[in-house]
Amino acid sequence: MKVKYIKDWENELNICIRCAYCFEGCPVFKELGWEIDGARGKLIVVYGLLTGELEPSEYIAEKLFQCTFCRDCVERCSADISVPDIMGAIRADLFDAGYSYDSHKELTKKIENSGNIFGNELKVPVFEGDKAVLLGCRLVERKEDSEKYLTILEKLGVKTKTFNESCCGMPFAVLGDKKGFKTQQDKFIETLPDKNEEFICACTTCVFFIRAKYPDLKAKYIIDEIVERLPDYKGKLKKLNIKVTYHDPCNVARGMDMVDEPRMLLKEIGAELIEMPTNGKQAECCGGGGGLLVSDDKLAEKLAEKRVEQAIKTGAEILTTLCPTCEFNLKNAVEKLGGKIEVKNLLDLLYESMM
Amino acid sequence: MGLVSVQTLKEIVGAENAKDDKADLYVYGSDSSVHQAMPWVVVRPHTIEEVQNIMRYANPRLIPVIARGAGSGMSGQAVPIKGGIIMDLKKMNKILEINLEDTFVRVEPGVVDDDLNRALKPHNVFYPPAPASSRIATIGGEIANNASGVRSVKYGAVRDSVLGMKVVMANGDLIHLGAKTRVEATGYQIDRLMVGSEGTLGIIVEATLKFVPIPKYRCLGIAKFNKLGDAGNAISEIMSSGIILSMLELMDNIAIKAVNQALDLGLPDVEAILMFEADGMAKEGVDVEVKRMMEICKKHKGFGLELSYDAKERTRIFSGRKKLFPSLSRYKEGYVCTSLADDMAVPYSKMAEMAKMIHEIAKRNNVIMTAYGHCGSGCMHTKILMDPTKEAQWEDAKRAVFEIYNFVRSVGGTTSAEHGIGISKAPAFKREKHESLELMRALKKALDPNNILNPGKLMDAPDDWVTATKLRYTVKLEGK
Repeated sequence: MKVKYIKDWENELNICIRCAYCFEGCPVFKELGWEIDGARGKLIVVYGLLTGELEPSEYIAEKLFQCTFCRDCVERCSADISVPDIMGAIRADLFDAGYSYDSHKELTKKIENSGNIFGNELKVPVFEGDKAVLLGCRLVERKEDSEKYLTILEKLGVKTKTFNESCCGMPFAVLGDKKGFKTQQDKFIETLPDKNEEFICACTTCVFFIRAKYPDLKAKYIIDEIVERLPDYKGKLKKLNIKVTYHDPCNVARGMDMVDEPRMLLKEIGAELIEMPTNGKQAECCGGGGGLLVSDDKLAEKLAEKRVEQAIKTGAEILTTLCPTCEFNLKNAVEKLGGKIEVKNLLDLLYESMM
Repeated sequence: MGLVSVQTLKEIVGAENAKDDKADLYVYGSDSSVHQAMPWVVVRPHTIEEVQNIMRYANPRLIPVIARGAGSGMSGQAVPIKGGIIMDLKKMNKILEINLEDTFVRVEPGVVDDDLNRALKPHNVFYPPAPASSRIATIGGEIANNASGVRSVKYGAVRDSVLGMKVVMANGDLIHLGAKTRVEATGYQIDRLMVGSEGTLGIIVEATLKFVPIPKYRCLGIAKFNKLGDAGNAISEIMSSGIILSMLELMDNIAIKAVNQALDLGLPDVEAILMFEADGMAKEGVDVEVKRMMEICKKHKGFGLELSYDAKERTRIFSGRKKLFPSLSRYKEGYVCTSLADDMAVPYSKMAEMAKMIHEIAKRNNVIMTAYGHCGSGCMHTKILMDPTKEAQWEDAKRAVFEIYNFVRSVGGTTSAEHGIGISKAPAFKREKHESLELMRALKKALDPNNILNPGKLMDAPDDWVTATKLRYTVKLEGK
């Protein structure tokens, strides 16, 4: 295979000491159990593709697309290797070599045609203040919820401004479509009201991705904004008196190092938090990331079911999280498991507490 | 590719538990060493009977069988130098019995060390060897390697925790070794022979391990030294003074610099840091031991002394040591951290001399080496930092390794304290154990007459570790 993007990572692949510490928390390895399923195994395969000792195959592509970019391996790595970046690079080489699923193409086509992952014309709720807020595809699609989250910001004193946004391009990047990503990147930037001004981002995946791939943009995570402003609002919050367990989204806990803030918010709204055995930076991934939902939806579903089972065991009535994709994946799993727990975005709980 | 029937193996373990895709074989041909070789097939047995049937299939056909746990070995123990069947034992991972009355636990070989300790913790007991890789290391691999860790000075290596085991022999027979009792004087201690045998004598399919109470108190101290020799003298005196300690760790100036470069922990620019710890059920007892260690450090010009019982504070003090490994990986652009001569043991009185020798050898052989380790058990770790893409660097490393082991033997030390021999350390091991190699070969022949159990390792490994297998790195031939 002609490799282009992975060449830049040869040194990192050499630096990996192959200690296998990444096995410990890898959700895919824990589910499938062969060494090729863990980060070390994947990096060895990538090295083989780089050196030509391995030729690409459908099987190799399947294995390399079975990664949720959850960063658990990064957290545990003995050599600080950024596995998701390497996965992104090899997927780009695989894409160029023709290894792309129909489900990938279907998704990226939808974005190209409509500017969002659903392929529909979505109406962004209209707020005409001065602080731009990017909702992200999944929240734009949930218009009512978007309005609630914008209302939270309004109540905290932010004069929000929505705009006719376009996808940040994350799906193109994780599925290896570099050219498609470049095109979508331009579209995304074009839709921003002012690319030099800071904007608030309500989606965890978007904000993490934008910070990594658009270094010139100033994306502020909605939780940071809320936490900053909440002290002035504290007395007005209604105590909900609910039992919840919190699922740390990978991009929030490991990606943005945010573990305490969501827990502080839960405390403020009178939610009793019962932790799952793995939480914070060690939290297990729900399987919704890295394009797994379109590469291997069955595996994504299994991982979500495992996480939901852990949540049910806590005895909590609500499984709350912050990431709309986690929410989507966990809700599906709950439905499959007979609805023994309710999945709610933490922002929904905060809204209830404000009303 | 050898003459192996994947179909037959699939019939033994189930179709979903055997693989022969080249990508899988490539992955299973590697571990945490510098070596790489291709197996012919990978199988994942779930029961003792399946292991027996695999051996019964492989033995008459002279097909090599390589048992594999996490594949975290640093010397190439699990690298299939002669090809064959990789037997991945990670799915045999049940804790079979926790017997609190008789203080033992029975486990399958694929149980991960930390998982075992998580299961034991509610009972206030623990399985103590604690190698650094305990988060992923399997019990089977630890036994086959005779692993140890930072607290082995007090609690011993894996061999000190093994009471007995079940082993599947090369011909598929299942034998019970050892006992469930703390002591046993019933002839040959064949279970002991299996410990550290690196999969060359039998497949460990069950282990009976002892556990010990979790100490109520643990106190960690740190001392800095301007001279490595002073730290060495402190080590010697601590270890010869009858102190009951649970840890004694050394970091040299390269290790300190690596951690500071990577993490900005602000460790002082000194030649050596010692970290010492005592634990126990009574605080008074722990106090006595740590204070004696502190006094000895002071006497040998140790300064910046700190002591703490607090778990968070202990974590802070130990963070530099904990982060050493990743830091070494980032020490110099283009260099990687290799495990070559990496875990020798020398007498306590020679620790400082060993550390100095490591620096001298590194300098004259154009590589970077650091000295750190579990001084309490006499184990000195080194890592050779080198550019693995340059052919000449491998010659440099080979010379450095040779010189290190010459020194180790000259002071009465031994080739490996805890990482095992495998392929990388076989040349030094053979020089050290030259008088007993034929005995080892006779034992191997008696237990594995067809030489199918992890062949080409230990006494049968090639004499040149650099050319023993393909290296995992791509070496360019243009010189330094």
